[in-house]
Amino acid sequence: MSLKEVMLQHPERRYIMFGGGGGVGKTTFSAATAYWLASQGKKVLVFSVDPQASLTDIFKRDIFGKGPVQIMNNLWAQEIDADTHIRTYQQEVRQKILDMYGLPKVPEEIENYIQAASAEPAMEESAIFDAVVDVVMKGDYDYYIYDLVPLGHALYYLSMAKVYDEWINKITKLREEMREYEEMVSRLRHEKVTEQDQILNELLYIKNRINTSARILTDKTKTGFFFVVIPEAMVINDTRKAAQTFAQFDVPIAGYVVNRVIPRELLGQNIPEYLRRRIAMQDQHMADLHAAFGERILALVPEMERDVTGLGMIEKLAATMFA
Amino acid sequence: MTGPEGAPTTEKSWLDVVREALYGMAAHDMSRAALRTRASMEHLFILITMGDLLGIPILPPYYSLRLLPYVVPQISTWKRRMLREKDVADAMF
Repeated sequence: MSLKEVMLQHPERRYIMFGGGGGVGKTTFSAATAYWLASQGKKVLVFSVDPQASLTDIFKRDIFGKGPVQIMNNLWAQEIDADTHIRTYQQEVRQKILDMYGLPKVPEEIENYIQAASAEPAMEESAIFDAVVDVVMKGDYDYYIYDLVPLGHALYYLSMAKVYDEWINKITKLREEMREYEEMVSRLRHEKVTEQDQILNELLYIKNRINTSARILTDKTKTGFFFVVIPEAMVINDTRKAAQTFAQFDVPIAGYVVNRVIPRELLGQNIPEYLRRRIAMQDQHMADLHAAFGERILALVPEMERDVTGLGMIEKLAATMFA
Repeated sequence: MTGPEGAPTTEKSWLDVVREALYGMAAHDMSRAALRTRASMEHLFILITMGDLLGIPILPPYYSLRLLPYVVPQISTWKRRMLREKDVADAMF
């Protein structure tokens, strides 16, 4: 089956993701897929969850942190600006503290904590993770194309959902037990039942956010996850390992797309030995790929003669991807 | 003072006082124990959400910030308690 057939046969897959190692062409394929779907009359949003996003380069438009920007008819692109998102969020937390306790300024100890928490390595990922929920929950588009982070990070992103969920379940339970004690004291003292536990409400809110995001990533009917590979030994090995791990996290793998295949037609021309060797090497790796993934390889995309940037090149690439 | 409608109220409130005193004596210890347990749990809760304050990162920081405003008053007593206890587990159970 081809990538085009898979897409047409599964219109219910609204969330399309391309995963793979660094530099294999995830962003390029995300953009090309978005372009193709938009040209089919679907309303599409392609957005980047990568702090080092490059949709700006691909579309040759400055879209970083500007919300959804319309690229052409039916096509919007968005790059989430994690830093600004974190700063706004910190400010909201500060304001909430000031309002709740009528303080003129945030106590030093608390301020230090806010600063320290934001410097943690997980902060950026979590912030993007959270922002994605907002993007997707609005539900304004027919298709959402996730331009994912490289494999290692993507796995972290996925495992985070599971860890968060378990963690929240535990503290929610603790919080509920605390509430039971509180109610017991109220009964013993003939006091009215205490007001609602706001922390418990916050925890339930957080749990809901995380579940929404994780549900999408692992939804077998609505999500199509495609691996991007290139015919090189290390990439193939990494992909094989990653595919197993992704399967453990219940990510539905919809297929594999091979990028940077040197056109075989060149062999008929007068080409240097160097290129012949590379083609021979790729042939061998292609055989490995077919052995490993067989029918699940949905498209072979040739190495382009120049960078894929600008709508013209994206259109050309989409034409070969969805032939 | 002992009007026709005043008498029953005085009598009732007097009975109430006795009842509450008796009940209170029995319940006081229980409610104190319950409050103590509740306070320990509160500290445990802050430890697992705001552990970074003592250098123990447990919760993803993005979401612990969301909870921070609600625990601001408890933070100073919590830190004192955590540092006083010989073993953190003493504070938990």
